[in-house]
This record gives sequence, structure tokens and C-alpha cells, in this order.
Amino acid sequence: MRVEIEALSLRFRNGVEVLRDVDLSVGAGEFVALLGPSGCGKSTLLNAIADLLDPALVETRGAIRLGGDRHELGYVFQRDALLPWRRVRDNVELGLQIRGVAARERRRRADELLALVGLSGFEAYYPHQLSGGMRQRVALARTLAYDPQLTLMDEPFGALDAQNRLILQAELLRIWERTSTTVLFVTHDLAEAILLAQRVVVLSRRPGTVKRVYEIPLPHPRDPFELRGSAEFTRLEGTIWSTLRDEFRDGARQ
Amino acid sequence: MRRALTLAAARVALIAFVFVAWEAVTGGFGLRPLVDPIVLGRPSLVFADLYEYARGGLLLTDSVATLEAALAGLVLGMLGGVGLGLAFGYWRTVADVFDPIIAGLNSLPRVAMAPVLILWFGLGIASKIVVSFSLVFFIIFYNTYLGVRSVDAELVKAVRVMGGGRLAVARFVLLPSVFSWIFAALRTSVSFALAGAVVGEFVGSTTGLGYRMVIATGLLQTTRVYAILLLLMIIAVSLIAIAKRVEERLLRWRPGGPLE
Repeated sequence: MRVEIEALSLRFRNGVEVLRDVDLSVGAGEFVALLGPSGCGKSTLLNAIADLLDPALVETRGAIRLGGDRHELGYVFQRDALLPWRRVRDNVELGLQIRGVAARERRRRADELLALVGLSGFEAYYPHQLSGGMRQRVALARTLAYDPQLTLMDEPFGALDAQNRLILQAELLRIWERTSTTVLFVTHDLAEAILLAQRVVVLSRRPGTVKRVYEIPLPHPRDPFELRGSAEFTRLEGTIWSTLRDEFRDGARQ
Repeated sequence: MRRALTLAAARVALIAFVFVAWEAVTGGFGLRPLVDPIVLGRPSLVFADLYEYARGGLLLTDSVATLEAALAGLVLGMLGGVGLGLAFGYWRTVADVFDPIIAGLNSLPRVAMAPVLILWFGLGIASKIVVSFSLVFFIIFYNTYLGVRSVDAELVKAVRVMGGGRLAVARFVLLPSVFSWIFAALRTSVSFALAGAVVGEFVGSTTGLGYRMVIATGLLQTTRVYAILLLLMIIAVSLIAIAKRVEERLLRWRPGGPLE
């Protein structure tokens, strides 16, 4: 699903200006990373796209146009947001259940997705019985289960340790390469952005605005384990860091 | 396993000790009584009386009467509490307006309301149900209300993004979340329901365990009083054990719940 954002400005009614004149165009099937310092409004931008902001609290100008139905949208949160009282399988089925898919088909699809994220055998567990990495896999499976045309991800691996993060990044790539979903991936981790995305959008500190966009000319399928430390990766890291550095530093001064 | 057996044995020994000591102090085993059984009863007499009480069928009639009132109070209290809790959780403004009244009613020692309630609802079962209800209602109401207010906003967001409307949010997030709060209060509610029924019977009734106890106290039949107290304890412990099982079954998804 295409995403067109035009001159989007956003401020909380208490006066904090979060985004200023954001222009961004994401093509169908593209994988774009939104990279920026903490508090630059990355998450708010995702929430605006998902229409999750309360208009009583937030004032918006500009336009967000989606090339499809807003209900064909998936969102993987920083915290997994699994329903704690539902077993793993029932959590994965949730989106399908909301869409009124028949029980048998739901179950087939859920088991398929759980296999895809490497969690076969854990169908009957409750979320609290799983590790953080496993829970985030369930959240990923839950989102992909209903085949969203646009998938928003808000630092989904931010709470994981380095090893689990790399493993899940590799899995996300593998899955994305097999589907046609557009991915908007928010992160403040430069390496993560380069490893995953086709384009990296660097946002400035608040009020967030698009500072620069980088193409990542690494061919897919990618292997994050190989890429990390490669010459091309290091070169890109150096280039983008030069832009990001000032935002991080000035953010620290504020 | 070994530890569980030791524990069970120790518990049985302790209970046996309490009864033996009680019996000895009140003049059992041919000893000179340290305390008059009129004051403290005596286990052997209490058990004999319990048997006597049961044999005539009166024990069953009284127990059924009390349990009926307690159960009705529990069910109605839960329904009412959930209903109003959900409504208040949904309409915050209404909740804020009513807050002082609810807080006032709740802070009132409702047991002290029993005489008035008997006046309103008569000597029959209705007044016992109302006393029991008034105790259960507030526990469940507050738990429901807190349950609604403490619903995880992240979960609501998750359901909404998946295309869920208000109904889906209520079904998949709100109600399960509220039920977990209600079931967590089940044990307290059960013992309050029983207490409410018995207190109602104390104040004015023509049947039930509480009624029989008041009569016995008036006639200085201490043995009967202790017999009924013992019976009430057994009933309460059993009901609470059942409530605990229900609670564990329904809340097994919670952290710290049993692994399968």
C-alpha cells in the first residue's frame, strides 16, 4: 500500500510541536526506516498514519493519503501488546477473528504463521510463559496473519538483547521478502535501519521534520549476519551517521 | 511430595491439639474444668449437639436457608456490581458526579444498616439477601470500575489497528480485563455474602443458622452456639476453597499461574 504524507504538521494542544512539514512518499511494497533521536515524533507519525491519535489532544495540518483501506494496516508495537489472557494461537488469530474469518481457517492460518516465526509447539502457551523475543515473534505473527498491505513497526526489537535482535531482524527480512506488504519501520538504531530498509529517512529532533533520505543500495535478499561489518555497510553507516550525529548531540543538549 | 505430606501431618496435629486442649480446659477427660463449658463450650458436647441438631433435620433446613440467602446475595451483588461498574467506567462524568454518594454508602458500616433493611424487607429471606447483596455489591462494583479504568490502552490500540470497532474492543479487551478483576475478588465476595446472610438472620428472621444462634445465645445454650460457629466455619472454608479453584481456573493465564 502506498503512503503519501504531505506537509504534515502536528502539535499537541498543550503546545508541544511534534512534527513540522513532514513530506514522505512510500511506494507499495517498499521497506522504509524512520530514523531519528528519541522524542523526535517518529512514533507519533506512525500513530497519525494508523489514525490512533485523539483529535481532542492533537491538532493536525497537512495530509496523509493511503493507497488502500486503513483496515488493511498492521502495527507492531514496541511492547508486544499481546492479550495476556489468550493463548499464543488465539492471539495470532485475533485479527482474523475481528475480520470474521471462520474458526477452522483462522486456526490453519495461525499455525502457518507460528511456523513461519519459528514458534510451532508453543500454540497453547500463555504470553507470560514466553521470553521477550518469543512474545515479539508472536506479535509479528499476529500482525502478518491477516496479511496487512501496510505494516507499521515501532521499535519492535528495541527491548531485546543484541543477539535476539539480530535473529529477529533476519526473520523479518525473510518474511518481508516473501510478502508484498509495505513496511514503515521506526527505530533509533542506525545499524538496524541500514540492515533492514531500502530507504532510510532521517528525522530531525523535535519538531521532527525529514532531514535527509538515504537509499540503501544493498540487494535483497539480505543476510544481516553477513552484512554487519561488511565494507558497504560500514560506508553507509559512516555517511548516515554524519547526518544523524548532530541531531543526537543537539538532542542531548536540550 | 515429602514436604506436602509433612505439612499435612503437621496441620492435622495442630488442629487435633487445639481440640484436645479445648476439651481438657473445659473439663473433658475427667479433669477439673479451668473454664466453665457455659462460657467456652466443650468439643465433645459440641459435636454431640451438632449430631443432635442434624438428626432432627433442623441443621439442614437452617443451612439451606442461610446458603440460599448468601448465594442469592452473591449472584445479585455480582450482577449489580458488574452492571453499575461497567456503566460508571464507561460514563466517567456520571461516575464523577455519583462518586461522593457511592463513597458515602460504601464507608457506611453496612452491617449497621441491617436493622433498617429488616424493617424495609421484612423477616423473610428478602432482607437477608439484601444485606448480603449490599456487602458483595460494593466489592464487585469497585473492582469492575477499577478494571474498566485500568484497561491497557496499548491493547485497545492493538485491537483498533486490526480494524476492531467498539464492540471488538469491548469483547476482546474490556470484558476479559474486567473479569480478571472480578474473579480476583471472588473469594472475598463469597465470605462477605455468607457474613451478610448470617448478620441478617441475627437481626430478625424465623429460620437460618444465624437465627438459631441468636436463640441459643438467649437461652445460654453455649454448646449450640459453638456447634453453629463450627458449622459456619466449615461452610465458609469449603465455599472459599471452591471460589479459589474457580479463580485459579479462570485466571490461569496470569503470571505466576501454573505452567502446563
